[in-house]
Amino acid sequence: MPFNRKISRRSILLGSAASVAVSAVGLSIRPARAADSLTVADPGGPFKDAYGAAFYKPYEEKTGLQIVNVAREHQPTSQVQAIVDTGNYSWDVVTITQGDEVLLHDRDLLEPLDWDLEHMGDIMKEARAPDWMGVDVYATILAIRSDHFKDKKPSSWADFWDVENFPGRRALRKSPIDTLEIALLADGVTPDELYPLDLDRAFKKLTEIRPDIDVWWTGGAQTSQMLQSGEVDMLPTWNGRAQTVIDADGTVEIVWNQGLYSIEGWAIPKGSPASDEAKKFIAFCADPKRQAEYTKTLAYGPTNPKAYDYIPPERAKFLPTAPAHFDKLILASQEWWGENKEEAEQRFNEWLLS
Amino acid sequence: MRGSWPLIPAALFLAVAFVYPVALLLGRSFVGSDGGLSAENYARLGESTVVVRVMLITFKIAGWTTLFAIIAGYPIAYLLATLPASRRNLLAIFVLMPFWTSFLVRTFAWIVLLGRNGALNQLLQVLGVSDPPSFLYQFSGVMIGMVHALMPLCVLTMLSVMENIDKRLTDAAGTLGARPAAAFWRIYFPLSLPGAAAGGLLVFITSLGFFITPALLGSERETVIVQLVIFQIKEMLNWGFAGAIAIMLLVVALVIFYIYDRLVGLSTLSGGDVRGGASSRNPLSWLGSKVGNLLLTAISEVSDAIGRALGALMPARPDRKPRRIGGKVLRFVALAGIAFLAVPAFFVVPVSFSESQFLTWPPKGFSLQWYREVFDNPLWIGAAWRSFVVAFSVAVVALMLGVPAAFYLVRRARRTTAIMAFLISPLIMPHIIIAVALFYLFAQIGLVGTTIGLIIGHTVLAIPYVVVTVVAVLKNYDIRLDHAASTLGANGVRTFLNVTFPLIRSGLIAAFMFAFIISFDELTISLFVTGGQVTTLPKQMWDDALLRVSPALAAVATLILAFMTAVILGSEILRRRGVAK
Repeated sequence: MPFNRKISRRSILLGSAASVAVSAVGLSIRPARAADSLTVADPGGPFKDAYGAAFYKPYEEKTGLQIVNVAREHQPTSQVQAIVDTGNYSWDVVTITQGDEVLLHDRDLLEPLDWDLEHMGDIMKEARAPDWMGVDVYATILAIRSDHFKDKKPSSWADFWDVENFPGRRALRKSPIDTLEIALLADGVTPDELYPLDLDRAFKKLTEIRPDIDVWWTGGAQTSQMLQSGEVDMLPTWNGRAQTVIDADGTVEIVWNQGLYSIEGWAIPKGSPASDEAKKFIAFCADPKRQAEYTKTLAYGPTNPKAYDYIPPERAKFLPTAPAHFDKLILASQEWWGENKEEAEQRFNEWLLS
Repeated sequence: MRGSWPLIPAALFLAVAFVYPVALLLGRSFVGSDGGLSAENYARLGESTVVVRVMLITFKIAGWTTLFAIIAGYPIAYLLATLPASRRNLLAIFVLMPFWTSFLVRTFAWIVLLGRNGALNQLLQVLGVSDPPSFLYQFSGVMIGMVHALMPLCVLTMLSVMENIDKRLTDAAGTLGARPAAAFWRIYFPLSLPGAAAGGLLVFITSLGFFITPALLGSERETVIVQLVIFQIKEMLNWGFAGAIAIMLLVVALVIFYIYDRLVGLSTLSGGDVRGGASSRNPLSWLGSKVGNLLLTAISEVSDAIGRALGALMPARPDRKPRRIGGKVLRFVALAGIAFLAVPAFFVVPVSFSESQFLTWPPKGFSLQWYREVFDNPLWIGAAWRSFVVAFSVAVVALMLGVPAAFYLVRRARRTTAIMAFLISPLIMPHIIIAVALFYLFAQIGLVGTTIGLIIGHTVLAIPYVVVTVVAVLKNYDIRLDHAASTLGANGVRTFLNVTFPLIRSGLIAAFMFAFIISFDELTISLFVTGGQVTTLPKQMWDDALLRVSPALAAVATLILAFMTAVILGSEILRRRGVAK
């Protein structure tokens, strides 16, 4: 009977749909999070290993608290927003950049830290915010191929613009961030006059170099690949990316002069039920010995200057905050970017498409 | 809605896991900065020319990608469809290679192959070309990367339709006096069109979401709309404006889909034949079919003229020569296309044994260190296993939901365009929007950070591929075969198993593979809905590539490639045994 057949088919389908639903519900009951663990989100990959050795394992040994390490996405701002909005605290602590701190702080999405805890008083002042503690400093520097520039080496952003004296293939980042600063520094603006950025002047300067830019890069791994293969002879990139090429075959040099530094650090999503434990964990990461530990594999600068007491000089020379060259670097103003990011991005896109 | 039950599971699933959460998120675009109802986000769309121009660039890239994928993919599908099954399946392995090499590895493979000091330029310099042309960092780079990534989609969809075309029809045309070209263009080609139309649709809409390939291989002008959405979501936390851009994208894409549907006949694709006369009712589709007919007549005349001219030049056997020349040209073009698809994979394998820390060409030395690194790290094994399980589950669930919906669309539905538009809309929506929306949904029902949540998220994306592919196959399926089986006493299940299933089998396999690979290569949703707690293979690869893309990724890609090839070969052996029995 056709009618019966239809019924049976339908019931099979409904049945299978129901079983999917049931198993979904069944599996959705997550084990209540044990109070003796802390979920910490970092960028993963090399950070997982370096932070693991420097912070997570020693902290577990010291406190008995288990650190559950998860990898966050490249920019976790919207994830923090979603976590706080829904009260689903899948992260207790997360690394964010200073720029993201400005954004999240404005929306009241971060938990205030306890700056009276041990070691935190030693942290450099640029790496402090009420709800964020910088833990590593990274710099946008000029990376050059040393086999291409043998005699005369570019040593400033003005040299990057000087295509007569420094011929070679060039790349710039396809983003206004750092790129606008670089253009202004190349145009002779001094570091103390850099902010607020003069957008008209920056775009005028960028227009000058545009015909000589062979690649507009968008990702860090792309820059190490281009440096390594010799696709370009110089480009601004993050020092950690240039460092991987130096570590691999050494044909690349870093120009620290006029580098722009930014800071990445720990924050706690607002309202986290584990915020007390999280604050203690963050204070642990201010320990200079702990910070010195991650520099063994990550070429980033500790935010506690005392860490350099534990770092051998041959390693220190590759770290942005090393006393030898830190004064040549310029702090990128996240306050300015916090207020002007949208306008800068829009003008940059208009300029790119023009 | 009597008899619409086959649509209900898919519709219900998408309503809960896509429409509801995404509508909640997009609803923010109607909220002004003061918290009240406002159109200010939409007013902003026109404030700068950036959004509109980026939209145009996005559709331009998608349009060209689709065109190239169809033109290059058609001969490949045709060649595969005309080969005996055993050789077809072997060649299909090469066609599928882009699927298994992960988008990250694939894109970097092009950078190394086509770069300034890349393999191609090294070769050209050896051949004496002093200043070789550059394909990268301009539009051609984007086309190479995107057509390569998406052509398999097109080939498989077309192939599953072509396999069901009865070869005797063209023979019959020949018997009735049609020259080979006319027989092909007037008989075979129109029958194969549903495959091209469906493949083109899938490629076009999938292209709209590609942003890494244009960013890495294109010039500074190749900014696509997804990047603007991501900027608003992440850099500005302005989800209202992001929603406005996404809605604009959805509207424009659906308008294009509507026109495309009317012109190329996706609605004939879904059931037009059965009901008949659908084309005459709508002026657009009437125009489409008129223009199409004229075009086909013209093409068949031209190719016949070429065939005759070639025949006149080589008059040995005037009646058979043109056909053989045509066949040779076709074979050459198809094999060149297959080589293009397989090249990056053949690059990845030797590079994975390199001693270098980077992907370099030629690979330096020989080392197993990258394989050791992969096997020594439990993260890789865990991530690979998880990705396989998730992708397999997604493919099964998506077929369970999508296949009945496809049957419904072809056999019973009215308003096919609207239903089809609804079913493909998850593909148009930028992944980041779906990801954020699902997080809010999953947070309410405790699915954040779970594998089940991940499977649900990926199934949303996979359903459109299943529906479109199966609809294309069913288009040429003669429902009278079912009626005949039923008349002969077969019940529904037996009819499906013995009559329907064998005929749509290749379509189901293609749909399964699409669903599988969509999940297997997906990063945005995985990352967001799991909060990083469930590490999938793309995530593990992305993490590993934070500072540089190492040959370890090539090793992973090689292992996946070897595994998938083994699976296909294994099923081929089983099939042959089955045939032998």
